[in-house]
Amino acid sequence: MSTLPQLLEEDIKQIDAGLDDLLSKSEATCALVIDKGGFLITQTGDTRRFDATTLGALAAAMYAATQGIASLVSEVNFSSVYQQGENFSLLVHNVDEHCLLLVIFKAQISVGAVKYYALNTLTQVAQQMQTAQARSPDEGLDLSVLNIADTADLFRKKKA
Amino acid sequence: MAIINQATKELQVKIVYYGPAMCGKTTNLLKVHENIQTAQEKGKLVSLATSSDRTLFFDFLPIEAMSIKGFKTKFQLYTVPGQVIYNTTRQLVLRGVDGIVFVADSQYEKMAENVESFANLEDNLRTLKLNLADIPYVLQYNKRDLPNVAQVDYMEFLLNNRDIQVPSFTACAHKVEGVFETLNMITRMLLHKFINESARKPA
Repeated sequence: MSTLPQLLEEDIKQIDAGLDDLLSKSEATCALVIDKGGFLITQTGDTRRFDATTLGALAAAMYAATQGIASLVSEVNFSSVYQQGENFSLLVHNVDEHCLLLVIFKAQISVGAVKYYALNTLTQVAQQMQTAQARSPDEGLDLSVLNIADTADLFRKKKA
Repeated sequence: MAIINQATKELQVKIVYYGPAMCGKTTNLLKVHENIQTAQEKGKLVSLATSSDRTLFFDFLPIEAMSIKGFKTKFQLYTVPGQVIYNTTRQLVLRGVDGIVFVADSQYEKMAENVESFANLEDNLRTLKLNLADIPYVLQYNKRDLPNVAQVDYMEFLLNNRDIQVPSFTACAHKVEGVFETLNMITRMLLHKFINESARKPA
C-alpha cells in the first residue's frame, strides 16, 4: 500500500497558500487538509474555535463511510460530502488517493461558491503531494536520531 | 500509515484496539483518558456509540507523547465496534493503521469469539492489502478479575502461536491494570519500527 509522502516545510507552505487563497475568495472560515486515515496534515483560517484533530478523524471516517454507501448504490465514488448546518456548513472533498480537503464555512455562504473556488485548491494540493511523492523518499527526516531504547515508558498513569 | 510532517516536526501514528464484542476496547481508551498524567497532552475522547453505550462506529482518543529530541509524536487511538454485524465499519477504521492492540476476553466461554475476531482481523487486513506479520501488534488478555477465566497459557496457545510471538499482557481494564503496560508496549514497538526503517535507508 503506497503511503502519503513525507512532507517538508515547503510542501506545507505551498498547500497553506492554496488554502489561504480558497479562504479569501470563498470567505470560508477554515480549511484543513487531512489524510484519509484521519490525520490532520495542515490547517488555515480560524481553526481555534474547532478541535481540528478530532475534526480530521471524524471527517475522514465520514468520507470513508460515504464511499461504502457509494459502492452499495453502484457508484464508483462520491467525490464530496456536504453537511448543511444552521451556523456552519461543511464540505469534504476528495483530493487524491491519500487525502481530503475539509472546508468549514458560514451557513449563509453558498456551497456552490465554495465548491467552485475549491476546485483550484484541490488541484494545487494534489500537485504538491505529487511533488513530495516524486522527491527522493530517502531525503526525509532521519528518524534514527530518535533514540528511545533507554527511555522510560512514554505514557504514565497518574498517581492515585 | 504514519505521517511524518517535517514542517511541524511531528510523527502521527494510528493505533487500533481490536477484539470481540464487550471485551473492553472502549474501557481501555476510557481508562487511558481518565488516568493519563495530565502533564501529557491528551485530546477529547470521542465515542460514536448507541444509547446503550455499545460502540457503533468507533471511539477516538488523540494523545501526544513527550517530545523526543524536538520531535512530537502524536498517537491516535481508535477502537472498532466488536459486534459481528459491523464488519464494514471495522474495515473503515483499520484504514491507515500502524499498530494494533488485540483485546481478548479471558472468560472461558468467550474463547471461540476471541479466535473468530482474530481471524476476522486478519481477513480485514487482507482486504486492505495489509499483512498482520508486517504490523506491530500486542495482545491483551482482559477481565482477569472474573472467576471463570482461561489460563494464560491456553490463551497464548489460541492467539499467540504464530511464527513470531508477540508481547501479551493480562489486564483488568476497568481497574486500570495492564492498560498502560499494553499502550506503552505498542507505542514502543511502533517507534522502534520507524527508527529501524529509517536506519535501513541508505544515507
